[in-house]
Amino acid sequence: MDDIEKELLERKKQLDEIKAPDELEGRLKLALDAAPVTKKVMPKWVMTIVALFFLSLVSYNYNGLAYYGKKIIGFDDLMGGTLAELNEEGMGQTIGQQVVLEDGSQLTVDGIMTDANQLILYYTLSKVKDQEDITFAKITGFLTDSNRGAGTSMLNEEQSEIKGELFFDPVSPFAKKLMLEFTKLTEGGAFMSGSISFPYDPNKAMQTEIKQNIKKKVKVDKGKINFKTITATPTVTMIKGTVDVENLDRVQLPFDKVELLANGQSVELLGSGITSSLGGAKFELRFSALPKKLDSLELVVNEFVGYTTVNEQIPLSTTAEQPFKMNGYDLWVKDAVKTDAGVEITIATDEDVLLDDVSVEGQDGIVPLETTLRQNYETTENEKVVKVRTLLFATDALPDTLQIKGMHHMKAVGEKIEIPVK
Amino acid sequence: MKVVRLVKKAKKGSKEALLQLIMDQRDDYYRLALTYMGNENDAMDAMEEMIVSLYMNIHQLKKEAAFYSWSKTILVNSCKQMLKKRQNLVLVDEWDSEESAHDPYLQSEQHMEIQEMLTIVNEHQKEAIQLKYFHDLDYETIAEMTKVSVGTAKSRVFQGIKKIRKQYRGEVDG
Repeated sequence: MDDIEKELLERKKQLDEIKAPDELEGRLKLALDAAPVTKKVMPKWVMTIVALFFLSLVSYNYNGLAYYGKKIIGFDDLMGGTLAELNEEGMGQTIGQQVVLEDGSQLTVDGIMTDANQLILYYTLSKVKDQEDITFAKITGFLTDSNRGAGTSMLNEEQSEIKGELFFDPVSPFAKKLMLEFTKLTEGGAFMSGSISFPYDPNKAMQTEIKQNIKKKVKVDKGKINFKTITATPTVTMIKGTVDVENLDRVQLPFDKVELLANGQSVELLGSGITSSLGGAKFELRFSALPKKLDSLELVVNEFVGYTTVNEQIPLSTTAEQPFKMNGYDLWVKDAVKTDAGVEITIATDEDVLLDDVSVEGQDGIVPLETTLRQNYETTENEKVVKVRTLLFATDALPDTLQIKGMHHMKAVGEKIEIPVK
Repeated sequence: MKVVRLVKKAKKGSKEALLQLIMDQRDDYYRLALTYMGNENDAMDAMEEMIVSLYMNIHQLKKEAAFYSWSKTILVNSCKQMLKKRQNLVLVDEWDSEESAHDPYLQSEQHMEIQEMLTIVNEHQKEAIQLKYFHDLDYETIAEMTKVSVGTAKSRVFQGIKKIRKQYRGEVDG
């Protein structure tokens, strides 16, 4: 090694003294929390459960119905239909516990609703200034360590108050006092963590309506789904089971086409989560609450993620207006350009399509896909949501064709399971 | 292997796993971002951009074991994009004055010499040398980050060092 290299290494040693600032972790956490998961409402993520690993793919849709809650007041715009009705009936617990944070803003736990499936919490953060964000990790208490699932919040017009609805795992019926943990970004960019305690009356938790085993397996293209239990409470209907499907993570919402029919009517799918654990992947599907008078209950797997070999050659002269038909799906080639990095091809497909084994062919021969650079969801003129992404190929010459060997997509299954309710 | 296991979890959507991967090498990422961005706040901004981008794209990472070089490439891209947006290309030269609080050796003779040496070479050579020697990255990764072939990345480092050596030797010996 010569002097120059020694000098450089010496300098590296000095640089190695520089450590990342302590607030980095908090900032990254917030950035991740704010990252969009699905297309409709910004969902928040369900967190880890001790040794089990994690929950993914959570999506939530809200009805935003105009019920006027008289019990927990001021959350009309956030509460969905069922929850608003329950609140109207006085099924929630008003709390009104407040805490003033270091930066002068004020956090209020307005009320909660609990049952065997979940805890729903309503909060208000007032006297906020611009650029402030608050996140909630979990609720703790006696025999209780409930991670947060989805959440949604709204800022008022004056931008001085945030009202939010948070969903947590259920809390223990033995807990008398609960503690909500939060982290808040202050104006100066620092993070402060804290907690607020409030009393809890387990006797006010809503009664479970149905809790039974399903124990039915459904075979799908690349594996099987094992539906195990159903727990219906006044706030939500939860179906749990395990899933062993090779390409499960290849579409964003593999359970999107699983339908619950109550009295022959479809019950709205609120969200789905998949946790991979030591024993394989577990899933939970959250549907709306069931009707009070229930005659029949059926679970239908209309479609599930599968795989199709296509072996298509798509000429890059295909224009954006005229889609290429592939296995009944449309594929649009929107753009193909040469950049410093190589050739970038922008394509659009239905949102459930993930292409497999992609390459281009041209004068440089066959060049495999290097990486995908960007991905967005767009809505077309006829209200269809398409997935647009830019593929990068390490070649200098614009190729002639795009080659696609296969695709992961939602495939028809059409299996029906009857769940006895009487 | 821990990294592979965490990447697999992150691929399935675990934000915790992704965060842990980054935090395990937080100083490396931070120093890399700092080299480009020049100050603490912008470096952290770039890392925020990076982690969101990783989260959105991690399912496309084929080789789990390559996570660190892949993510660092994305960090460099995020930095460059931010700089481009600002049209304010700052490289290491300028961050010394702002970063004195973070660099205990700022005032040392040796350090000044290195900085001076690096002014001799062109911007590309300097970037490649910094990535190689200060951030311990291999040529494949440097090539990815700077969007050139491995051969070009190597040659930038060698040519740069050669140039410095010539000048430096010339002065010292001369």
